[in-house]
Amino acid sequence: MDDIIASSGGRHGPPGGQIADQLRWFDITETDRRQAEALAVTADELAEQIIEDFYAHLLSFDDARRHFRSDEQIARVKKGQLKYFRELVTAALDEDYVRNRRQIGQIHERSGVTPTLYVGAYAYYLHRLGHRVMDRMQDDPGRALALLLSLIKIAHFDMAQALETYVEAREATIEQREREMSELPTPVLQLRDGLLLIPVVGTLDSYRARSLTVKLLEGIRDHRARAVVLDITGVAAVDSAVANHLIQTMTAARLMGASSVLTGLSAEVAQALVKIGVTGEALRTAGDLQHGIEMAERMLEI
Amino acid sequence: MTGLDLAAPQMQRIERDGDVVAARQIGRHLAAEIGFSRPEQALIATAISELARNIVSYAERGMISFAAVDAERRQGLRITAEDRGPGIADIHAAMTDGFSTGNSLGLGLPGTQRIMDEFDIRSAPGEGVTVTVVKWKSR
Repeated sequence: MDDIIASSGGRHGPPGGQIADQLRWFDITETDRRQAEALAVTADELAEQIIEDFYAHLLSFDDARRHFRSDEQIARVKKGQLKYFRELVTAALDEDYVRNRRQIGQIHERSGVTPTLYVGAYAYYLHRLGHRVMDRMQDDPGRALALLLSLIKIAHFDMAQALETYVEAREATIEQREREMSELPTPVLQLRDGLLLIPVVGTLDSYRARSLTVKLLEGIRDHRARAVVLDITGVAAVDSAVANHLIQTMTAARLMGASSVLTGLSAEVAQALVKIGVTGEALRTAGDLQHGIEMAERMLEI
Repeated sequence: MTGLDLAAPQMQRIERDGDVVAARQIGRHLAAEIGFSRPEQALIATAISELARNIVSYAERGMISFAAVDAERRQGLRITAEDRGPGIADIHAAMTDGFSTGNSLGLGLPGTQRIMDEFDIRSAPGEGVTVTVVKWKSR
């Protein structure tokens, strides 16, 4: 939790084009920026005390305390936070700023700071600051409120940057898992001399189709196969793109001197593919696996 | 900004292959609820697959929405695929069998038109593509 809510430079984040849109979405105007900036001096004066209070609050939680190894570490993080909140009132809200905020979000996500912890810390800070600002500006509470509302808008914009990074990081993880699953090994089984069976499972995207083709061609070469049964019972979402991949794979097999039979196509899906326009001649199919194997065996006899 | 798309209950964002499978499942489930036969469900799922894969291949991201429709005592399923991608320069060519700017069979759009009862495509270069299709339950 070293760098939590501490700022640092980075090279990540979205292109700048949409920042103007985002600011409009949060309804952040020039007035808001000026008003937030008017809080700079007050925020500076108060920040240290608020952050002290915040850490007293934070460290009263066992879970949070586990993240801190030493007093120096706490001191360093406090310094980072001071900078972070000072930037909140004076930030340019430009591309560099968004990049920087996103990188902080990444650091948080990686080190296990949950959105609850992050948003809670923010709420704590805004709440304390709000009270002190209202106290100080007792003679003009209307203005104090206006300034604080502007700051709250900017704070939400700021939080959104970090939370987006959280979501992106999770999505990257999911994509990685999907990729790993799509890389499930495709077994090449030799049924008898010259006859291979390849069960294909999962989704058949172009990446997976390429590796299937490679496996098939290697199998044909290694086993000196002359017939191959491709079983796609376990393939989700068979459509013209999948059919295209299969046609190319089977054509490649033919160029290697092996004929192939496709099995495992359900009757409904087969009908749908024909109606869409996939022609039967490109794909030699058999009703079920047993027929497919019989068909392949006949090919061996020719 | 995507924050304002206050989502209708039956929407699936399409960004990757996993979303294609998810959209198919939603469509198939809805089709079964409406009472489509199994072969019809397969046609609907295949059409969704084609539309969703077009989004992934050509526009990177988009959205597919589903709605049960009722007209003249007939029930049907309407599917809308929208993206903000590069759009289609020549819709007439795109609707021709075997035409593809990618490395595909070029059956996606014309094939989808063949298997659905209603088909509407709107696009202009730079403005994305919106395809709306309807399948009516056979009586």
